Amino acid sequence: MKISILGNSTGRGRRTSAAVALGAALALTATACGDDGGGAGGGGAEGSGKGKIVFWDNNGGVRTDIWKQIIADFEKANPDIDVQYVGIASTEYQSKVDTAIQADGLPDVGGISASMLAGFAAQGALDPLDDRLEKSPLNGKLNKDMIESLRAAGGGDDKLYSVPTSANNGVLYYRTDLFRKAGLEEPTTWDRFFEAAEKLTDKGGNKFGYTIRGGAGSIAQALDAMYGQSGITSFWDSTGKKTTVNDPKNVAALEKYAALFKKVTPAADLNNDFTKMVAQWDSGEIGMLNHNLGSYQDHVKALGADKFRGIPQPVGPDGKRVQVSNPVDGVGLFKSSKNKEAAWKFIEFATSAQSSSKFNESAGQVPAHLDAAKSDWIAKAEPTKLAAEALTDGSTTIVQLPYYLPDWNTLSKAESEPNFQKVLLGDMSAKDFLDGLAEKLNEAQAEWDEQMG
Amino acid sequence: MITKEATVAAPAPLPAAPEPPRPARKRRRAWDEAPRWQIYLPLGIYLVFTLIPFYWILLFALRPAGSTSLVPWPMTTVHFEKVWTDRGFGTFFYNSVLVGVVTLLMTTLVALAGGYALARFDFKVKRAFMLALLCSQFVPGALLLVPLFEIFAGLQLINSLVSVIIAETVFQLPLSMILISNFIKNVPYSLEEAAWVDGCNRFRAFRVVVLPLLRPGLIAVGSFAFVHSWNHFLFALMFLNNQEKQTIPVGLNTLMSADSVDLGALAAGGIIAAVPVVIVFAFIQKWLITGFSAGAVKG
Repeated sequence: MKISILGNSTGRGRRTSAAVALGAALALTATACGDDGGGAGGGGAEGSGKGKIVFWDNNGGVRTDIWKQIIADFEKANPDIDVQYVGIASTEYQSKVDTAIQADGLPDVGGISASMLAGFAAQGALDPLDDRLEKSPLNGKLNKDMIESLRAAGGGDDKLYSVPTSANNGVLYYRTDLFRKAGLEEPTTWDRFFEAAEKLTDKGGNKFGYTIRGGAGSIAQALDAMYGQSGITSFWDSTGKKTTVNDPKNVAALEKYAALFKKVTPAADLNNDFTKMVAQWDSGEIGMLNHNLGSYQDHVKALGADKFRGIPQPVGPDGKRVQVSNPVDGVGLFKSSKNKEAAWKFIEFATSAQSSSKFNESAGQVPAHLDAAKSDWIAKAEPTKLAAEALTDGSTTIVQLPYYLPDWNTLSKAESEPNFQKVLLGDMSAKDFLDGLAEKLNEAQAEWDEQMG
Repeated sequence: MITKEATVAAPAPLPAAPEPPRPARKRRRAWDEAPRWQIYLPLGIYLVFTLIPFYWILLFALRPAGSTSLVPWPMTTVHFEKVWTDRGFGTFFYNSVLVGVVTLLMTTLVALAGGYALARFDFKVKRAFMLALLCSQFVPGALLLVPLFEIFAGLQLINSLVSVIIAETVFQLPLSMILISNFIKNVPYSLEEAAWVDGCNRFRAFRVVVLPLLRPGLIAVGSFAFVHSWNHFLFALMFLNNQEKQTIPVGLNTLMSADSVDLGALAAGGIIAAVPVVIVFAFIQKWLITGFSAGAVKG
């Protein structure tokens, strides 16, 4: 008996097998030419001040272009140093750095904001920069408040682990065209804010007064609204051991704020992260939005500069403005870098007046370098100008959030965001939510105090 | 002569037995008689719900930034140009294709060999091995990130696409191997034996007799491997530290910064990421359904 398919397919089968094997071999060869990319391992070293360094951007994407420009300028000024840029999405940065710390694969330089600093410093991943800064031309040229904010957010040892590049600030964006049409005054006070939110809402016409952040990142925004209304100016009471988040004034403020949900906001706001929130504000007819300076350019692109304004948060009944702190951003030097001299040169350049001005003009944020803060572009970017004034002219009290607590990110995100959604839905009272949060914060603070002796 | 039988009157014909019911035909008739709207209205509603998100993505990708029009007119390709050139999606696309194709080839080849062994040979720890293969599916990739990172760093493979290909292949092999072994079990052993009688060795018998019959299974396993590695984010994010070596999912992620997002670019990037998968599924859906159902029947 002969099997008919034998003769027919043998030649083709052999050719296919050979092609598959060759393809796999070629592809593997083509992809095998990688290098380790990370700067590091072991204890690190000063190095020669030349050669390659790796920089991980903690907010890759929209900022990639401006970082590449700064890197090109740096390489022109320092032809012996080659900077490899790696843009990492902000949502993934912490997990990537944490993995790299465990697996000894850190870069030389990284973007380090106050919100992540405590965790990285606690793992001993960062080099203290006080001595380098003292000897640098940057000394005395950087915003002292931002330096102190980063110092406080560090490991509790009063050392500076990140050189500030910029500060962000909460902004109330409102549609000037809709306000004008409805005959409303600028929402500079909380009373005007609530009044406008109601008057601009026409659910049948799919028009809303406000869009609330109910999804990822909701807690910082809710805290801003709470402290802004209550006028409480410190996150901790006078003993420093008990948080003020569940103060009765804050509870009342949160109740009022959460009651806006579905009354003057779209029902879909329950899952709003900043992307959805900004997208629906930019493409619909919603009167007001709370976000930060970072989305200003998106609004300009979508609406045009003359259809909206971005102003600092409203003032309370006593005429005082209280806002919670936004994490200061900066760049840090990883301890495992084997080329610290070159890495520090890059940090110095990236935080210099010229680079700081370029970077912050693109990001729409407040520059940390004092000379950059006087740049002409700031006068033209209204929200940035107003935020810079609010942060420096004494009109605003900033409630410093406890970024130094290693548990802060978990407490203010994974553990609290689902409960805040329950508050919005009416399944949990504002008091229960804030009492629960306060209990965890007090425990975290006590643990911190114990560790710090 | 007239026989007795002849004189007897012929019996009256028996009443015809009632025809057995034909449920299939009746069902078809009932189906045919149903008003069209009862069929097409639910399908239409379902289709609208399914397609609206895709339309929305197309809308954002094709209309100019700032437009609130509900139709993509005037149409622009500026977002596609931006992500393809400025944001490096051309490079990401090439890397993703490379990772996807090589993972497909490696997964299929190794799963074929392993699946054949599981289907045709008996060995002492076979049941335990099968159980281990199944259990490996419960281990999330994130749990193994640090050890994998250290292994690849030791092999100088961090920042090389090889690390991603190996990790993807290894994670997809257990399920692929089980599926292939089930396909091979469905091919009668006697066919191979006949080939041996005709002078083939085991490998040749497998190649010329069994392999052609495994086409649906190979397509199912291969496409599954390709699509999974095409969409997978974690390994590429963790093992690749160079913009020039990143893949589409990582690139898409970087289109959203902490407080700013370019929706047009994001939508265009999403379409670039989705097109190859849609094309793959459009061409192989028949084989895919056949393959997975055949592979899943026998355990």
